[in-house]
Amino acid sequence: MSAQLYTAHHTALAAGTKVILVFVLTPVLAGLVGAVLPATGWFPPLGGDTISLSPLRTFLLEPGLITSVSLSIFTALTATTLSYLLAIGLLAVLVGTGGGAFLTRLISPLLSVPHITIAVGFLFLLQPSGWLIRLLSPWATGWDRPPNLNLVPDEAGWMLVTGLVAKEVPFLILMGLSAASQIDARRLLEGGRSLGYGPLTSWYLVVQPQLGRRLFLPVMIVLVFSVSVVDMALVLAPSTPAPLAVRILVWFRDPDLMRQFVAAVGALAQMGLALICCAIWVAASAICARVIRHICWSGWRLTTHPLLARVGRFWLSGLAVLPCALAAAGLTSSLIWAFAVIWRFPDGLPSRWGLAAWMMTSDGLLHAALTSLVLGLAAASVSVFAAVFWLEGVSARTRTGGQIGRVDRWAGTRAEGLIYLPLLIPQAAFLFGLQILLIWLGVDGMFLTLLWVHVVFVFPYVMLSLGPSWRRFDTGFTDLAANLGAGPWRRFCAVKLPILLIPVLTAYAVGFAVSQALYLPTVFASNGRIATLTTEAVILASGAGRQTLGAASLLQMALPLAVFLSADLIGLARFRRFSWFRV
Amino acid sequence: MTAQRSFPSFSVLWMLSALKALFAAGLMAFLPFSTMAADKFETFVDQARGQSVYFNAWGGSPAINAYIAWAADQLKVRNDITLIHVKLTDTADAVSRILAEKTAGKTSGGSVDLVWVNGENFASLKRQNLLQDEGWAFSLPSFTYTDSAALPALISDFATPTDGLESPWGRAQLVFGYDTAYVAAPPRSASALANWVKQDDNQGRFTFPRPPDFTGTSFLKQIALEVVPDSSIFAAPAPADMDSADAMLGPLWAWLADVSSHLWRAGRHYPVNYTDMVRLLGDGEVAIAMAFNPAEFSNGIAQGILPDTVRSYIHEGGTLANVHFVAIPFNANGPAAKVVANFLLSPEAQLRKANSEIWGDPTVLSMAKLPPEDAAAFAGLPRGIATLSDAQLSHSLAEPHPSWVKVIEQGWEKRYAAN
Repeated sequence: MSAQLYTAHHTALAAGTKVILVFVLTPVLAGLVGAVLPATGWFPPLGGDTISLSPLRTFLLEPGLITSVSLSIFTALTATTLSYLLAIGLLAVLVGTGGGAFLTRLISPLLSVPHITIAVGFLFLLQPSGWLIRLLSPWATGWDRPPNLNLVPDEAGWMLVTGLVAKEVPFLILMGLSAASQIDARRLLEGGRSLGYGPLTSWYLVVQPQLGRRLFLPVMIVLVFSVSVVDMALVLAPSTPAPLAVRILVWFRDPDLMRQFVAAVGALAQMGLALICCAIWVAASAICARVIRHICWSGWRLTTHPLLARVGRFWLSGLAVLPCALAAAGLTSSLIWAFAVIWRFPDGLPSRWGLAAWMMTSDGLLHAALTSLVLGLAAASVSVFAAVFWLEGVSARTRTGGQIGRVDRWAGTRAEGLIYLPLLIPQAAFLFGLQILLIWLGVDGMFLTLLWVHVVFVFPYVMLSLGPSWRRFDTGFTDLAANLGAGPWRRFCAVKLPILLIPVLTAYAVGFAVSQALYLPTVFASNGRIATLTTEAVILASGAGRQTLGAASLLQMALPLAVFLSADLIGLARFRRFSWFRV
Repeated sequence: MTAQRSFPSFSVLWMLSALKALFAAGLMAFLPFSTMAADKFETFVDQARGQSVYFNAWGGSPAINAYIAWAADQLKVRNDITLIHVKLTDTADAVSRILAEKTAGKTSGGSVDLVWVNGENFASLKRQNLLQDEGWAFSLPSFTYTDSAALPALISDFATPTDGLESPWGRAQLVFGYDTAYVAAPPRSASALANWVKQDDNQGRFTFPRPPDFTGTSFLKQIALEVVPDSSIFAAPAPADMDSADAMLGPLWAWLADVSSHLWRAGRHYPVNYTDMVRLLGDGEVAIAMAFNPAEFSNGIAQGILPDTVRSYIHEGGTLANVHFVAIPFNANGPAAKVVANFLLSPEAQLRKANSEIWGDPTVLSMAKLPPEDAAAFAGLPRGIATLSDAQLSHSLAEPHPSWVKVIEQGWEKRYAAN
């Protein structure tokens, strides 16, 4: 192939990445402007036409602000630390023993279930009138009425932490599995063991630091998500006072429109909080790295009795699976509620079953399900396409030149950092501004606009999921095809894509699940006119009985789960004959 | 780069819509408001044919959603109007959208044609000039069936004059529900309630939705009206100085200090909203709850959410009552929304709405002003087992001036949600 053709190909890909960047960043930047101006007192429609500090002063005088902020920081950092340690521990079991495929299968569906559904399940299971106490009452507890206990939410925020861990451990495991094969964790592990370290010690001391570096971005995303989570916090977090993110939403929704100023300051404070949490994480992990290096240099082997090590490992995986098991039990109780007509305390199961909840809500639900399906498939398709385009663009650049390749790669990663901006900025900070931009462009309420906004959030997750496998691709295969005379398209379609089919399918399913869970962005971009299953579920949750809430939860689980399973089945069918080929 | 390419088409659209608005304004100048009587309404009906109305209304109740769907069917058949229910989680979402449209300079072709509001949300929309400023509601033909002399709340929404910017839709009154399995005689006043809550057997069996939830704040208003000796202060705006306003509510804070530690979860956590609280009543976690629709507890029993041992009652001195409305934003499209508002206020639509098997929302129409056969139909409506009679509901209290809401909410927040 001529060099000229190659350059044209290269230029097209490079231009494409710029277009993608504009698409992803415009909404975020417009949204940020929409938060910064009201925060400084400038909001002409509400009579704010001077810059002032009074919104900031009002914000700082909000009662219980310090408690709200510390609650946010505590829950976010605890949830992220626990998720990270537990995910790394589970990965040790998965990679070290090789026999954890069953475990992965068990927890990966949790990846597809929206946060709010998990939260509602926790509530159904663990509150004083929840399923667990129903099953134990009155024969074991003696209660014939629900006890007056602060179980969900608890006073310190542990329920929110548990809920977040149940959702983030599967995500970090998915990210970690591909990172582990990238660094050839198994060989490192064997190396560590041959130097006399125990399996778990060598995992945490040798493999974990390398894994941690590759998991940096996913962990930051988990951290920012945890500090700014609203839907799950509304159900599981303490409310007197609530975490900052919940209070921002309350201010935004205050009938007194003057509270918009305070809400805008809150949104910026939320961003600051996210930054502080990230800084704490970076500092803490630097200290941990020093400690680990010190242990390694000192030659300390941290050996324990083999039995103790085995017990320790058992408990560790038990601890890691516990939040996920609670989530699964909670989802089961949602399922039962969906088909209950009457289920009184302390009955272990409904006394009357039926479809009443479904009959009452059937109007619109089918339509919403169809919208969700089309929107999710479209958003995932566009995002996967854009991600492949992006990754090909970067790899084309790194392969064309010798010295400039290095510079280009650096530029590639820097630009790539920008696409994660939508996940690193709390949603509350930019949604109102985004809404103004869409109205100003005259595109609000259109399906394509909604798709665009979904892609802004779905694309970064797809990149996270697809990127590592794509970069790890052994170019020997395509080089060989080139030697056999295949052009770039043929090499891509006939060789590269089939080999990377499983990562592409996984990324697709992840993208679909992300799209399904988006609530606030959907409401803001669609003028409330386009109903998805999630918007319907949240609306029903605001007014109906547990039966309807259960039905809504079930619907929210069903679609992403179906897409995950189909992706899994397609992958299995495709690779049955040569499973050794799996990447 | 769609974003950039759409700028020119956007400005063309904008000019077109500006022209359209000018044209419409010119037309309106020839239709002075005073003459806009029944015959003018007929021209609206003609103009409205083929139009769509996006009705933004809370969508959390399957019963209400079904009622709105019925109204949509009727309007399609009779007036060729397509009524689309935009289901909201919170009315504030529509308010914030109207505000965003005003900020973006969208003065016509707005996304909200009709919105279900009252009280604070209405006061806010009116204050920020976010509503259509001609007093259209008084000239609706169905408005003649109402009697604002007998029910002043029809033209004074939480003490804010409606000025015809919103059309009445239904009535609400604070009612309490109790489970007869646990409560023999319900406490029928603020002080009786405090004593009941403090009894050993009833520890943790009462709560209210966390303010600023609408029902939660209303409950606090109810207590304030009962315990503040001179309740006439609530008819006037609260003093601008928050500290002195807060001090005027001393008896409310004393009442709360007395009961809070005996509430459900020792007052450390509160239900998110009315629905959350009713689920607690259904599970027996609490034994008394409150709602803003007299038929709510009957509906809950019918849906299996509440046990059939639940009954309702109100306080001896009367309970808060108000009216809810539909309003048209400043940038809404065409006259079809007025035709919809008129239909929602018609005797036929009101009769169906008042039926507790459908929704059970009391009518805003005056029985004395209705044709006798319509009045008879209202009298013959079925009532749920847990719904009080009109006579039992006749003791009502007027809503305090909306400025008190802020004083109550902030005072509560400061005392009970800040540590």
